[in-house]
Amino acid sequence: MTKNTLRTAEKIPSPTPSQPLTAEARPVHQQQRRNPPIAGELAAIALAQQGDGASFEVLYNMHKRRVYSLCLRMLGNVAEAEDLTQEAFLQLHRKIATFRGDSAFSTWLHRMAVNVVLMHLRKKGLPLVSLEETLEPSQEDGPRKDFGTRDLTLSGSIDRITLEQAVEELPPGYRMVFVLHDVEGYEHNEIAEMLQCSIGNSKSQLHKARMRLRILLRQKADGKVDA
Amino acid sequence: MTSDRIHTPRECDEFQQQLPGLFDSEHGLQQHAHLRTCKNCSSLVRDLEYIAAQAKLLLPIHDPSPAVWNNIQTVLSRQAKDGNKSS
Repeated sequence: MTKNTLRTAEKIPSPTPSQPLTAEARPVHQQQRRNPPIAGELAAIALAQQGDGASFEVLYNMHKRRVYSLCLRMLGNVAEAEDLTQEAFLQLHRKIATFRGDSAFSTWLHRMAVNVVLMHLRKKGLPLVSLEETLEPSQEDGPRKDFGTRDLTLSGSIDRITLEQAVEELPPGYRMVFVLHDVEGYEHNEIAEMLQCSIGNSKSQLHKARMRLRILLRQKADGKVDA
Repeated sequence: MTSDRIHTPRECDEFQQQLPGLFDSEHGLQQHAHLRTCKNCSSLVRDLEYIAAQAKLLLPIHDPSPAVWNNIQTVLSRQAKDGNKSS
C-alpha cells in the first residue's frame, strides 16, 4: 500500500453480497491515518487464508477492539455489540480467502462490521435514518440564533470521556451518521449507500447530530463549572 | 476575525440552513461573507468544527469479553467437524 493517489477506480471485495461496494474515493493516506498497517498483519492474513486457525486468532486479537468499539458505538448496547462482533469475525472467517489486498485489511474488515450492524438493525425493523428526526427537527435541533447568550465556545473544554458520553446520548439515527462520518471517517456518499438514504439526508443528519452534541457538551461543561 | 455587525435572526437562519452543505464545500466555510461579520454564527461554526475534530481522535477503547472469542472458536470447531463428516 504505497500508492498515494485517489483510489477512484479500485474495487474491494464485497463483504456481503447484498451490499455491493462501489469504488471508494477516499485517499489512501486518509485510510492509513485511520487504519495504519499493523506489524505482522500481512503474514497472518496469508496464513489465515490457507486455513491456519492460530493466524486467524492473531487477526482477531489485532482487530477485536476496533470492531467491537465500532459495534458498541453504533448500537449503544454491550450484549448486541458482542453478538455482532462475533458475527463480523465469523463472516471474516468465511470470506477471508476473497481478500485481495486492494484496500487496507482493516478498512475491508470494518466495512464488513458496519454491514453486519446495519443488516442486524434492518432485521429488527429499525429505520437507519429516522424520518422523524429528519423531517421534523425539534426546536433544539433546528437553526439556533444564540442571540443574547454568553460567548462560550467549546474549544478546549471537551475531554474524550465527555464526548463519548454525549455520543451515547444521541438519538440512534443521529448517532449512526455521526459515528460513521466523524469517528470512522466514511464519506457522505458511502454513508448514503450504506444507509440507503440520500447524500443530502446524510449531511443533514450529521449536522443535526453535531448541533445536538454541542448542546449536550455545553450542558456538561456548565455542570462541571457549577459543581 | 469577525467585525461586529448586528444580523437579523432571518439572516442567521438562512445561513444556518445552508450549513450542512457548506461544511463539505470546497470553497471553505470560513470564507463565507456571513461568518466574517456574525459573531454568533462564527462561534457556532467553530464549535461544530471542534466537535468534528475531536470525534476523529476518539480511539477504540472497548474490548469485547473473552466469551466472544470462545463463542467464535466453538462455532468454527463445529463447522469444521460438520465439514469433515460431510466430506
